[in-house]
Amino acid sequence: MAHAHTLNSSKPLGHGSSVKRHTGLMDWITTVDHKKIAILYLWAGGLFFGIGGLEAILIRIQLIKPMNDFLDAQTFNELITMHGTTMIFLGVMPVIFALMNAVIPLQIGARDVAFPFLNALGFWTFLFGGILLNLSWIMGGAPDAGWTSYAPLSTSTYSTTHGVDFYTIGLQIAGLGTLIGGINFLATIITMRAPGMSFMRMPMFAWTTFITSAIILFAFPAITVGLVLLTFDRILGANFFEVGGGGSPVLWQHIFWIFGHPEVYILILPAFGIISEVIPTFSRKRLFGYSSMVFATILIAFLGFMVWAHHMFTTGLGPVANALFSVSTMLIAVPTGIKIFNWLFTMWGGQVRFTTPNLFAAGFIPTFTMGGVTGVMLASAPADFQFHDTYFVVAHFHYVIVGGLVLGLFAGLHYWWPKMFGRMLSESLGKWTFWTFILGFHMTFFVQHFLGLMGMQRRVFTYLPNQQFDLLNLVSTIGAFLMGVGMIIFLINIYLTSRRPADASNDPWEDGRTLEWTIPSPPPEYNFKQTPLVRGIDAFWKEKTAGHTAMTPAEPVGSIHMPSATAIPFVMSVGIFIAGLGFMFSRDEFGNAFMSFLFNNYIVTALGLLITFGAMLIRSLYDDHGWHIEPEELEGR
Amino acid sequence: MTTDQQSKVNGVKHRHRTEGPQRHIVVFVFSIVLTLIAFAAVAAGGVNPTFTVVLLLIMAVLQVFLQMGFWMHLKDKGHLLPIIFMLGGFFIAGTCIIMALYWVWWD
Repeated sequence: MAHAHTLNSSKPLGHGSSVKRHTGLMDWITTVDHKKIAILYLWAGGLFFGIGGLEAILIRIQLIKPMNDFLDAQTFNELITMHGTTMIFLGVMPVIFALMNAVIPLQIGARDVAFPFLNALGFWTFLFGGILLNLSWIMGGAPDAGWTSYAPLSTSTYSTTHGVDFYTIGLQIAGLGTLIGGINFLATIITMRAPGMSFMRMPMFAWTTFITSAIILFAFPAITVGLVLLTFDRILGANFFEVGGGGSPVLWQHIFWIFGHPEVYILILPAFGIISEVIPTFSRKRLFGYSSMVFATILIAFLGFMVWAHHMFTTGLGPVANALFSVSTMLIAVPTGIKIFNWLFTMWGGQVRFTTPNLFAAGFIPTFTMGGVTGVMLASAPADFQFHDTYFVVAHFHYVIVGGLVLGLFAGLHYWWPKMFGRMLSESLGKWTFWTFILGFHMTFFVQHFLGLMGMQRRVFTYLPNQQFDLLNLVSTIGAFLMGVGMIIFLINIYLTSRRPADASNDPWEDGRTLEWTIPSPPPEYNFKQTPLVRGIDAFWKEKTAGHTAMTPAEPVGSIHMPSATAIPFVMSVGIFIAGLGFMFSRDEFGNAFMSFLFNNYIVTALGLLITFGAMLIRSLYDDHGWHIEPEELEGR
Repeated sequence: MTTDQQSKVNGVKHRHRTEGPQRHIVVFVFSIVLTLIAFAAVAAGGVNPTFTVVLLLIMAVLQVFLQMGFWMHLKDKGHLLPIIFMLGGFFIAGTCIIMALYWVWWD
């Protein structure tokens, strides 16, 4: 744990001279610094987001006209499956974690997360899980049972390639990283807030991160169990979901959605947090209804666990269950509505500046509200029988995930970019990104509501002409390309910005309210030379209104304890990756007798686990006390 | 909360009050007695299986409270968050169990 030792208690355990500093690639592989892990999460998440985006473009090209033969049905199924899975688990969640890592320790006045080693481990397991999943493209076909991977389609009876195995093992490994990350942020926020920062003085993004992490803690075990059961069914011949063996396919749906519905709140709550930071900053006003925001966040998280069966209205749960889940789903509109109105009232009467982050935040509010309204429509069980499995559902969840989360992520990335990299993104290119992206977004998905209502089913690889689907699908595809243009402008913006000198000031937006804007951009590796004393909500703004330019320190300048860089998390993740790959092919016939021997006797799996557990053993036996940055070094900078 | 902040600001933390070993010994003996009752009930057997099961469950619940409260310090100050998170976990795990029983096995 990175915490300060005050002057009189400082005892150099591992003095600065003995610290091995890595450079280049080794620096990134061995880093445990939350700011560098944030950048790793951002690049890896961005890469997978790009892959998922390309898959979306291919899907839209196939659907541009009726009876198109650009893709065959099998490839189309693989693309829709991988698009959903990649975007949710490997695209947006890592970018969320990137922002959490970059911002949360700074916002709560901490020098790192509670467990820097685990933080690195979480990143590397996510990355290797993602790589494993995407290896499926070149290793015999991607998963093709949809991102929900419903049984019996995903069981070995109907899915004979290794596609779904890549899904189960890849997500299992990536999910490990998410769970580790969630636990880490819970511990960080509970134990490492600066003196004076009570829970009800925490910035809203810290609050939503806290609640999101709690949902991760409770929801991810469900998918872990589900994936283990499906893996056992497929590789070891178990019968959990296999009807022929007495299993229950509906059990998979329950397990998946007990995880899956909280998962969508894991996605959207951080976006709510980002919007709640951006809007007050650029309205020069305190967030309206802070305590009701906290209350609404907790309520959404709680209700999020009570609504999973609304994904399953048509499976035949019966009218009583359907009615109950309808009502609980509609209830979520209440706390969400509280949030929407709080944002509007924050802007009301404020000195609103439409910078790029605030444009994205302002665009978020109506777009997300539209997704919420169709959500209430879908919550009505009788109506859902009509909407189920049509493009109406596709339009709804893209409105909340893209129109909600992705716009929120764009707002957050533009807002915190100077803090992460020390460079302001170009405002004019940022506005181009916003307008092309949001116009393209509404073009793509608004028309899909009507396609769905007219009867176009989701996940069909083509459709017949003259069903009134032709024009709307064309519009949708053009919109998708426009979103792609927006993304390219964003990438150009990043490239051009990276060539400019890193000259962002501590508080580049000039109206920063929270602790991250009190330290240099990018921050030094110890973040705060002295832990700040928090005297109210919006700690920095409070000092500004009192006429101060800096925080009051809560401690004298002293030696700062830092965690040591280590490659063990990387090695552990490589081990799990090898074990997963070995287990997946343990039942295969290889032409080569030696290969068959290695895989069929679980030797590859054992080797991978040996690497992982060996690395854990080294970590346990070797006592690493970290190192210290001494006051002279701090003053020398 | 304010006194807690005050003590943090002064650089001193008063979390656990020092307690003597007496209470721990009493709780330990009590745990042993509960375990003995449970074993004895099963060993005696034969009387009424339903009674034995109910007795075992009561012993188990008492044991959980003792273990959590005294040995895992949940009764002490500053343990509100662990309690909230444990209750949350029980609640969600319970939901899953009810789902599985009601919709998958009994259906």
